[in-house]
Amino acid sequence: MKTMTKPKLMEKKANNMPVNNRYSLDTAITNSWSKVAPFWPLRNLIAVNPIAGFENLAFEEALKHANAYFQQKEMPEKMQQVNRQTIKWLQVFFDEGQSTIQMPLRHLGLIKSTLLLLRFDNQLHKNEPQKRQWLERLPQRPEAVIAEALLYLGTPTDEQEQFLTLMLTTLPGWAAYIQYRTNWADPQDTAHPYPVTQSDYLALRLVLTCLIWPEAKQLLSCHQKALQNTDISEPYQRIADNEAVYQKELVKKLVSLDVSKEKSRPTAQLIFCIDVRSEPFRRALETQGDYETYGFAGFFGVPISIESAVTGESYVSCPVLLKPTHNIIEKPNTSYQSYKSGFEKLQSIKKLYQSLKYTFTTPFSLVETMGIASGLWMGLKSLTPRGSAAIQSILKNAIAPNHSPNPDIQTIPFEQQVTYGVGSLKMMGLTENFAPLIIFCGHGSTTQNNAYATVLDCGACGGRHGASNARILTAILNSKKVRNALKKHHIEIPEDTFFLAAEHNTTTDEVEIYDYNFPESFAIQIESLRQDLKNARNENSFRRSKEMGVNTNTKRANKVTALRAQDWAQVRPEWGLAKNAAFIVGPRWLTKNVDLEGRSFLHSYEWKKDGDGTSLTTILTAPMVVAQWINAQYFFSTFDNVAFGGGSKITKNITGKIGIMQGNASDLMHGLPLQSVFKSDNKPYHQPMRLTVIVYAPKSHIDPIIKQHDVLQKLFGNGWVNLICHDPNAKQKFSLQRNLTWGKPH
Amino acid sequence: MLDIEPLFHIDNLSLIMMGLVGFVTISIVSFSSRYLKGDRKQSFFYLNLAILISIIFIMVSADHLFLLLVLWAASNYFLTRLMRHKREWEAARQSSILAIKNFGLGLIFLGSSFSILYIVTGETSIQIMLSKPIETPWVIISGLLMLLATMTQSALWPFHRWLTSSLNSPTPVSAIMHAGLVNGGGFILARFAPMLLEQPVTLNIIFITGVITATLGILWKLMQSDVKRMLACSTMGQMGFMIAQCGLGLFPAAVAHLCWHGLFKAYLFLASGSAAQEQRLDLEYPPSLKHFSMALIGGALGAYMFSLTSGKNIFAADTTLLLILLAMIAGTQFALPILRRHSLVKIPLATLVTALIGALYGLSMCFIEQLLTPLAISNPQPLNGLHLLALFVLTGAWLAILFGRHPKQKQIPTWMLKIYVRMLNASQPHPKTVTAHRNQYQF
Repeated sequence: MKTMTKPKLMEKKANNMPVNNRYSLDTAITNSWSKVAPFWPLRNLIAVNPIAGFENLAFEEALKHANAYFQQKEMPEKMQQVNRQTIKWLQVFFDEGQSTIQMPLRHLGLIKSTLLLLRFDNQLHKNEPQKRQWLERLPQRPEAVIAEALLYLGTPTDEQEQFLTLMLTTLPGWAAYIQYRTNWADPQDTAHPYPVTQSDYLALRLVLTCLIWPEAKQLLSCHQKALQNTDISEPYQRIADNEAVYQKELVKKLVSLDVSKEKSRPTAQLIFCIDVRSEPFRRALETQGDYETYGFAGFFGVPISIESAVTGESYVSCPVLLKPTHNIIEKPNTSYQSYKSGFEKLQSIKKLYQSLKYTFTTPFSLVETMGIASGLWMGLKSLTPRGSAAIQSILKNAIAPNHSPNPDIQTIPFEQQVTYGVGSLKMMGLTENFAPLIIFCGHGSTTQNNAYATVLDCGACGGRHGASNARILTAILNSKKVRNALKKHHIEIPEDTFFLAAEHNTTTDEVEIYDYNFPESFAIQIESLRQDLKNARNENSFRRSKEMGVNTNTKRANKVTALRAQDWAQVRPEWGLAKNAAFIVGPRWLTKNVDLEGRSFLHSYEWKKDGDGTSLTTILTAPMVVAQWINAQYFFSTFDNVAFGGGSKITKNITGKIGIMQGNASDLMHGLPLQSVFKSDNKPYHQPMRLTVIVYAPKSHIDPIIKQHDVLQKLFGNGWVNLICHDPNAKQKFSLQRNLTWGKPH
Repeated sequence: MLDIEPLFHIDNLSLIMMGLVGFVTISIVSFSSRYLKGDRKQSFFYLNLAILISIIFIMVSADHLFLLLVLWAASNYFLTRLMRHKREWEAARQSSILAIKNFGLGLIFLGSSFSILYIVTGETSIQIMLSKPIETPWVIISGLLMLLATMTQSALWPFHRWLTSSLNSPTPVSAIMHAGLVNGGGFILARFAPMLLEQPVTLNIIFITGVITATLGILWKLMQSDVKRMLACSTMGQMGFMIAQCGLGLFPAAVAHLCWHGLFKAYLFLASGSAAQEQRLDLEYPPSLKHFSMALIGGALGAYMFSLTSGKNIFAADTTLLLILLAMIAGTQFALPILRRHSLVKIPLATLVTALIGALYGLSMCFIEQLLTPLAISNPQPLNGLHLLALFVLTGAWLAILFGRHPKQKQIPTWMLKIYVRMLNASQPHPKTVTAHRNQYQF
């Protein structure tokens, strides 16, 4: 064993405590983690820039580092062994309910529990007494373990940070998940029964490395060499050229004349999420009648968590940059008890199955009893997904009928309700000329057998469906008391205006209106809106079918998209946010007559109504940042789907219910699957392009905001986002340069 | 019966196999037409699948010893081609190599077994050979070699590793593997059942091999934290049980198990993308003794209905007793959640539903058994100590999960930790088939 070339050091261990400066080690640990972007679990896959840890560098420089850290084809065999052992232990430690016999001692935390078990792991210590003793004598505190291991591995003090970083980046997906758990987790994960800290993971990684590859110091020189040999100028140039072509086209398309005339009162106003999938749907709807549409972050400005009274489940429904301030309980409109007992019935049927499946001895009888039924079901689902979906929905409705839930907004104090009402209306510039019907339309997706389902849901709602937020805001704005209070903020909502909540299903383009409690007088209007939404659905489904390569016509297109939502074999149920490239902040007339091809996030904004720039500040520092995360995720998943994406769905394997591995076992494959961004194995569908942001406001309006916010200086100054100012005063367009001065656009 | 002398012999066993494989193939082809869209190896997949299925169809109809052997080898070869879908992906290539080595070994075992049979009987027709008694000790050696071939084919311990390391294959390939070729071992044993039924010792060895694999497979299945390896370990356990049924002399029951498990597992593989959405419910172990004893009564009734519909004598003093007792355990486990949700008021409901399920269970087994009656390969053996020992292990393991929840405040004994780590290591895929460096994955 090569491992034994340093037995002396190992023996010295017990009485030779490391003399490292603790402060510098702590800094090294923190800094090493700062290179790692978080990765959310499958339950709510939030888009993230996988190399967000390098955003403090200029974009080209970051690409270079990302290449050296994440895209290297070679890895020393010994390091691969360390990875195999790490994966083995992380898989069982981070299991959220796949295994029945779980890893023991997990409640002690990652490093404590694994250290107690590693003693028996003869794949690791090969029963060599020295190694076993070393393991048993390791200190308790993870930082002390790290210090001791670094000393043993002989890493020079000034290279410790770099070495720790490499310990993380050589298994980037798992590190990203731990970054999520330790820094970004939802409330339910911060008080997790099986705790983990950043030091815990580094300690485990180093212990495994000490046992398997005492010469791991070599990683430092390997990385150095990789960095020297990296040349990304060619791919960078290609990307920059594509962006230039796109920007030129886009800027040309946008009209520079304010065509907003004396406004008549529209039939209805609909507020959609800024999501790029809203844009073509909005356009399709606008052609159906006198509809005005708006774009706004799909959580509609209410930072909440939702709890279902029926299922008892709860989740956060707002951007991950915010913490929810209210917990809203949703209850069915009617017969709460019957829904609850329906739900319980369904649960107990599932229990019967699980009771036989997840134990000894009975699975033998289970398969013999269920064989025919599951075989037939398999055939049905494969041969006629439509038929099987119909049967499934009949069965499900017979046991536990679907219900439309109603939020109880009492938990939001009145002043807060007013603040949310004012905030949302003002930010999108909807403060006058209210239509009789105003619809807040959230969005979500429907897919089957899709581990990546939540990628397609609303990012602004934290990877969830957005209907709940829409229902809450409409409940607030329909309240007489709130409307009275709004008057003090110079917002007069007419008596005959009614707010409705809806949800846009981005897979089928169906829009469901939650129309309970509406005044009788609106019945006809709602009915005709429904019809127009149906037409818009057909039109947009047709457009999307073409994009998905299906030949059809406007009449039949909705069947094409509906089928994709029901088909368990479908790997491309919808294109999601693929091809996203721009974020446009301004009034709708700016873009109304332009086909933006579903590539733009649209945020409604009226600079004249935003004197002090408060709204624009929020738009640029919140929705725009989220859009940049999404853009970067699609960018890198396409740029290198192995290093930054999820790989092909056909060989995916879900581990611990939290993430994807490829095949038998691999790194946690963070990022989008191949099928989300590629038409076929060889043909990308998405085009890697950095986000182009266009703001319709004077330069002088934007400048102070950039000056005040580091995050904007970082994103614009380092070239992660391109900003174009569409200046209404100068009637010209300007492009922000890296030195944060304005120049000519492409 | 249809005879195309002297190469082929199509009987109900062949037809059952064709039915199973054919049905699964139709489902999988339909599934893959969307699932593999855009994959650059799509036509490679269809071509190899078509060849594989054709070979299997001919293989299950073969009556000539060496024709069977050649087709056996060929089908395995095409399976390994399907496994290596993306040959640029080193881990997938290694999975395929591991399988080739395993099947190569199996081929040597089966080849030797067949050669012995040929030498001692001078016959190449399986049917003719089986129709008359073979009186030579060599036949025992042949039987044991056949068992070894079965072990490699059906991933029995200690030849399981190729299967638990096979998950670099695309999902539809796993589905056809688990519903198809992994059952090859069971098919061969059923084919040669008349010969094996003459060898009680061999049957006992088969039984023990099966029980060990069944126990290990299910234990590993319960320990896995990724869905596909869980399914693979589960298949290993199910194969163990199927082989154990052969060892009990209940070959038709084994074929029934093979079929129903194949369909079940193929479905679960195709549905494995939903694993993250499946919510594991708290089954609130351990149950109270009151609930448990009530459930036992339900289980007993379920077992009774099972024996009724499957045409078995509930008081049989032979190996069918094992099946009935397993049905009772399953019935109990089934009745428990019903009783616990509805309290004891619902005893009649729980027993009724359990009885119905027991009847359904019996019917599905009976269906295959009826089809196989003409082959006369069911011959329950007298009970012996081994059977009781196995029953003891299977019941004990079940009760351990039910009642053995460890209180958190207590320290877990060292031996348990040791076993956990040892079993975790034993159930890992072969290291070369793990993608230890992310960038070595290729699509």
